[in-house]
Amino acid sequence: MSGAASASGVLLEVDNVSVSFHVEHGRVLRAVDTVSFQVAKGEVLGLVGESGCGKTTVAKCIVGQITPNAGAVRLEGRELGPKRTAEERRAIQMVFQDPYSSLNPRMSVRQVLSELLGVHRIVPRAGIEDRCRELMALVGLPPDALGGLPSQFSGGQRQRIAIARALAVEPRVIIADEPVSALDVSVQATILRLFEDLGSRLGLTIVFISHNLAVVRHLSRRVAVMYLGRIVEEGGRESVFGDPRHPYTRALLEAAPRLHQTELVRPVVRGEPPSPIDIPAGCSFHPRCPRAEEVCSQVRPLLESVGTGDEHLAACHFRREASPRFGDGTPPTYRDEAPFGALEGP
Amino acid sequence: MTPLLEVEDLVVEMRRHGAAFRAVDGVSFSLERGGALAIVGESGCGKSITLRAIMDLLPSGGRLVSGRVVVDGVELEADNRGRGRGHDQRERMSIIFQDALSALNPVATVGNQIAEAPRHVLALGRNASRERAIELLRLVGIPDPERRYHAYPHELSGGTRQRVMIAIALSSEPAILLCDEPTTALDVTIQTQILALLCELREARGLSLVFVTHDLSVVSQVAEQLAVMYTGRLVETGPTEIVLGAPRHPYTAGLLGAALDVDTPEREPIAIPGSIPDPLRLPSGCTFHPRCRFATLDCVTTDVRLEPVGPDQEAACLHSDALAAALAGAGRD
Amino acid sequence: MAPSFQPVETGQEVARRPSFGSRVLHSPTFIAGAVMTATMVTLVLLSPVIGRYSPVALDPLHALSGPSALHWLGTDELGRDTWSRLLYGGRTDLQVGVLAVVFPFCFGVFIGTVCGYAGGLLDTIIMRIVDVVLAFPFYVLIIALVFAVGVGTHGIYIAYGLTDWVVYARTTRSATMIARKLDWVAAAEGGGISRARVLWRHILPSTITQAIVYVMSDIVIVILVVVALGYLGLGIQPPAPDWGSMIYDGQNFLQTDQWMAVFPGLAVVFTGIGLSLLGDGLADVLRPE
Repeated sequence: MSGAASASGVLLEVDNVSVSFHVEHGRVLRAVDTVSFQVAKGEVLGLVGESGCGKTTVAKCIVGQITPNAGAVRLEGRELGPKRTAEERRAIQMVFQDPYSSLNPRMSVRQVLSELLGVHRIVPRAGIEDRCRELMALVGLPPDALGGLPSQFSGGQRQRIAIARALAVEPRVIIADEPVSALDVSVQATILRLFEDLGSRLGLTIVFISHNLAVVRHLSRRVAVMYLGRIVEEGGRESVFGDPRHPYTRALLEAAPRLHQTELVRPVVRGEPPSPIDIPAGCSFHPRCPRAEEVCSQVRPLLESVGTGDEHLAACHFRREASPRFGDGTPPTYRDEAPFGALEGP
Repeated sequence: MTPLLEVEDLVVEMRRHGAAFRAVDGVSFSLERGGALAIVGESGCGKSITLRAIMDLLPSGGRLVSGRVVVDGVELEADNRGRGRGHDQRERMSIIFQDALSALNPVATVGNQIAEAPRHVLALGRNASRERAIELLRLVGIPDPERRYHAYPHELSGGTRQRVMIAIALSSEPAILLCDEPTTALDVTIQTQILALLCELREARGLSLVFVTHDLSVVSQVAEQLAVMYTGRLVETGPTEIVLGAPRHPYTAGLLGAALDVDTPEREPIAIPGSIPDPLRLPSGCTFHPRCRFATLDCVTTDVRLEPVGPDQEAACLHSDALAAALAGAGRD
Repeated sequence: MAPSFQPVETGQEVARRPSFGSRVLHSPTFIAGAVMTATMVTLVLLSPVIGRYSPVALDPLHALSGPSALHWLGTDELGRDTWSRLLYGGRTDLQVGVLAVVFPFCFGVFIGTVCGYAGGLLDTIIMRIVDVVLAFPFYVLIIALVFAVGVGTHGIYIAYGLTDWVVYARTTRSATMIARKLDWVAAAEGGGISRARVLWRHILPSTITQAIVYVMSDIVIVILVVVALGYLGLGIQPPAPDWGSMIYDGQNFLQTDQWMAVFPGLAVVFTGIGLSLLGDGLADVLRPE
């Protein structure tokens, strides 16, 4: 079981959620496999993983788009069932990855916001226009953007509109699914700033999903790393990034490109992730893991404490040891020649 | 020694909704034999079009207005008919793209696609081409190449498809490989594999590389030379480490300031004010001036072009010294 | 040093929105289609005013004459004025064309939307019904129904209503199934908006475009169906004029007085092209940029 940040402060809980799909020939695709984590009120949890790890499926379960086959999603202790009330749906809002398909191309910003404000009666009819303007100001757009259609806006502006839409219903939790991945670097900085501001100013609880470690490390207070539908490591940001106990986390850290890296990063992880239809027995990472031993192919490691006493969990048989750096020596510093040494390839 | 590839004053015009604009406006660079150049820029800056113009593979609506492409001293003719250039002479060019799934033929086996160039460009026989294809599959690190020869693109994973695309590009024995964001769509662990492959190929075969990307943090692993592009023009060029360490153009500095680095999470990324201008309504003079804190009246009126600012470095900025001073001052704090 | 400029605030510029009027003007298809259709509609609506004779008035002295000052487009074998018959016939044909498609359009779009959104057993059952209807040879079905219900316009309405809705159901269903998976629909649902409202205000405006384009050509198809039925004596009954029966009558006189068949034929072609262009033009204009 995953640890609790502080039982009284837990706002969102994902409890042993599993999602499987039946595909042809009677096979089963396990998109999500007994994933559990908790997010405290006002906290930013980073959910990190590469494509196919199931993080988007988890997000869809949390907002209620998908019903899990097993497990539950709880808001403030109350379980959210498959048929959610308007109130329940309001409480958890999602910001999507692709700014070009997340807005209705035929509705103006004003129409989108007014509809939400009206349906939930958030403000009286007379106050809708003012509230729309406030929302625009909150996300840093001018009030005359209200009359615009999505096609008139750039990617970054569209994401701001999407955020304004999410905020319009005054949610308790925001799930941001790769909100900056489709944006240019200079625009990413603005949107990230916006998330930070909103988080601190409005006390929002945010689950921030990304495959980009630098972004997650910058924004989140706690981090969960996913691989092939399972959480493989979880804990405070500096625990996980500073002292990774799962080889996959270590591999992600080392593979992340750095600005001033003069030597090539030698790939440490062999091959590619298997299909989620054919998840390896034992530890799902073992065929690619540079550290794997026989036990790893036989016994599935559970997500358990690494023993440092700070709610840092890892699903690895060797969690109690610091995972080895795959390069030799220190990680690269700016403009150092940091030789990585000859590593065996695949 | 003459550079292997010289691009001079490339100008490409694109038409969108009936209006024409210059997607590439006077881009020049050169590439030494065995060297690697990275071209970095955000969306719409014209970096991909530049590569396509060099290969003479412009999309419909694009037109090569002027410019020379010289390979090994020989100028290549372009006929703007989408058949590409760079096949007929000794030093060939090949290109790889971002999305392997759409770049590969979905109804041909990967093996046949790799064997195509040996068969038709190198004029090898059927069996020899097949052998060559299997060899290339092995070379790019695909296990069990004899079996994979018969696979179709959709049966393979993203990273494997990208390797197939590299194999196809290599099959015509090129001297120059143009790479259009080849790792952008890949996961980071696969990205390292592909980048390592490209670098190994460079060493093993003396391949010269032009690597286009929007991701600044990748370039220092890949290329020793860096060029930064904005609104169809190069705004800064120079050795990668020097440009990244001491940029001389405010846009480059802006990109660096906005980037996040996984090793320094406390640093706040700083956005570049304003936004990328509409190519149909570019600002006059230096197109970056509305977003630049060093801008003066001269920047609005002068057509600013690349000027040397260091031994190997060039920047298209009237205030590159002021920028250098500001950065040095900030570094001291 | 010269004064420097204040850099622009991040991301404040919003592109201009092309007005509806300018989008209309930029679509030559729409303009052409609208002009042609409007011309035809105006002409037939003004038939009492500009038709010079009653469509059933006989003028045996001038039977089978070509265009002349007396009869602008000539006369048929009974001396009836072609111009007047063309106008009054147009009224009938256009009216039948438009009315016949109203029910199939509304019902088909409704069924398609519900099936596409709900899926499951309901979708399967209704789609099998659609398959059955589509499998029937169209004209056989129409003729059988008209026989059963009786000749005349109401027969056509009923027959068309029972058979034509399936096309709209199918296209709307596909469009709805695609729309259902889009992020912005998920956002609307996630925002707590009721399913009915999501369907009506969010999904339908996107999915209905194809149906609108098709309905234009459907009107023309109805007119042609009436023509075909006219050949079998199951269409609009004489002496009421209609383009179909005028063509049918005219075919006996193609050697001597071609105008009898040509003018109504041209009228059908003109209307058909106008409506098609209007449909395509609407697709252009309604598409979000």
